[in-house]
Amino acid sequence: MKVADLVNADATLISRRAWSDERVYQLEKRGIFGKAWLFLGHETQIPNTGDFVQAYMCETPIILARGEDDDIYACINSCSHRGLPVCRADHGNTKRFVCPYHNWSYKVSGELVAIPQERMVKKGPDKSVLGLKRVPRVESWRGMIFGSFDENIESLDSYLGDMRFYLDAFFERFPAGIEFMGAPHRWVIDANWKLPMENQLGDVNHGPYLHAAVIPPEANQEIYDHGFSVVPGPGHGATFRLMPEDVPIEQVAWGFEGLGTLLGGDEVQEYLCEVQRQSAERVGAIRSRMKGLTFGVYPNLSFLWSNTSFKVSHPRGPGQVEYWSWAAVPADAPDNIKKILRRNYSSFFGPGGILEQEDAESWMQQYLGSAIDFADDRCFYYGLGLGEEKPHPDLPGLVSGTANEYYARAFFQRWRDALMAVEDDHA
Amino acid sequence: MPDQTIPDQLLLQHKVEQFYYREARLLDNRQYQSWLALCAENIQYIMPARGNPLVNNLEHGNESMISVERELEGVDSDGCPLREESYLHLALRVDRSFKINAWAENPAARTRRIVGNVEIIDVDGEQLSVTSNFHLFYARPGAANFIYAGQRRDLLKVTEESYQISQREIIMDMADVRVPTLGLFL
Repeated sequence: MKVADLVNADATLISRRAWSDERVYQLEKRGIFGKAWLFLGHETQIPNTGDFVQAYMCETPIILARGEDDDIYACINSCSHRGLPVCRADHGNTKRFVCPYHNWSYKVSGELVAIPQERMVKKGPDKSVLGLKRVPRVESWRGMIFGSFDENIESLDSYLGDMRFYLDAFFERFPAGIEFMGAPHRWVIDANWKLPMENQLGDVNHGPYLHAAVIPPEANQEIYDHGFSVVPGPGHGATFRLMPEDVPIEQVAWGFEGLGTLLGGDEVQEYLCEVQRQSAERVGAIRSRMKGLTFGVYPNLSFLWSNTSFKVSHPRGPGQVEYWSWAAVPADAPDNIKKILRRNYSSFFGPGGILEQEDAESWMQQYLGSAIDFADDRCFYYGLGLGEEKPHPDLPGLVSGTANEYYARAFFQRWRDALMAVEDDHA
Repeated sequence: MPDQTIPDQLLLQHKVEQFYYREARLLDNRQYQSWLALCAENIQYIMPARGNPLVNNLEHGNESMISVERELEGVDSDGCPLREESYLHLALRVDRSFKINAWAENPAARTRRIVGNVEIIDVDGEQLSVTSNFHLFYARPGAANFIYAGQRRDLLKVTEESYQISQREIIMDMADVRVPTLGLFL
């Protein structure tokens, strides 16, 4: 197997093996998850010294914590003595992580501070080199914390590049930014990690078909009429509607699409309209008319603007994914409004969501299709809208209508290059 | 229920159990519209999130140290419950079930519910507070078979004929969610 055979030159054909082959997955671990910036959590989850949450970088368990110096640390959750996880809770606040096996104990920032057996031997070990393994690079942008195993990776700002323009269209609408509500919902699906990612990176085309039982035709018409698919940089993606200047405010304002908001009463509707009224001043004329759909940040972070949820697709082998999702709400919204907005996420997405049922079923079935024998000569077709992406005077990146699958071609070109860079390594 | 005679208590227990058996039969027979009629129009239908918090060392030796309640993020929490739905959300789910493009259930999944441990916790006028346990066997064509287990904490409103569910809180027991959806009628 050669990586060059999995994706053709313009990425209009993707091999089924790209989804189902264990050897490909091993290359993804090294070439992508060992090198990219990976999303770990949001600063609002760990506001105080000693606060921690669990995270993953691919299959590697990570503790994300705020240390005694108020800095943020990410360490691998595995004791230096026998390798057990030293943190067994999802989240919380503590002074020390204590390994259950022999009680070696660590600061939340990873330094080893106590070895109970030390006093029973003549020469104790050098604790300063036996801390938890640190993730070498940790950076934040707008409260979003990322980590990378590649010490030499470019800055997070540069990695996100023009994707920031689109993320800010949402983040900057709120004077105090956003916050994550509670622990992530997490569930395991027998699917390849790339399909949940692709689904949010730019695949709004499945909406009118897969979700026709729930999404009304007028919502789809709005996407046909005003929808854009943008690739700010290969592997990143943003889809949204750019609403005309003269439409009523509640037709542009974020949040009005969900039942949660409609049922939430006058108070939440007035809140959302007020956010929209101030948006031109906060994010500029063009971005105030943006009514977001789905965003993706390479390799596995997604943002569903319409239902304000962040999601991470954590691989668990080629055929399994642990999907995490959080409700994200404006940090300065009143408590009752935050609660209405979180329902707007959980009723439709997440493990109990009405819409997400159909997605998870499709992702499971796609994996079965990828693993079919005797169909290797039938690559998956990714050629819709080839070459139709163009620069735009107001929108950074390459821009096209929502049926163009350029978002996925650009992802797979970056994916192919990342795997080719490591395929001849003999690790 | 100190003011009730033993025969009254037995009759009440019987009526409540019959209500739950009928509810389970309607759901297993996919008569979701009939099931919806068992829900009050002001129903609160809640599934708290359930995590793995730090053990509270200050409480060691006490039952509160490892209480189930500490694991739950319900409607009043600052976290995010898995579900917090109204009658309209449930109606939307019922409506979806009878459309050909509800692909997660087309072909339909087979289900079998066993409801037990029905315990009437409190009677307050026309309202009963009842807990029950359930096991749900769920078999989706083309996928593995799954077991769901949990507890339901209900408020039942007494009606002329029977009862209506005015609040349901579902405490799921899986530690890791390895089922295709938590969006079922539970």
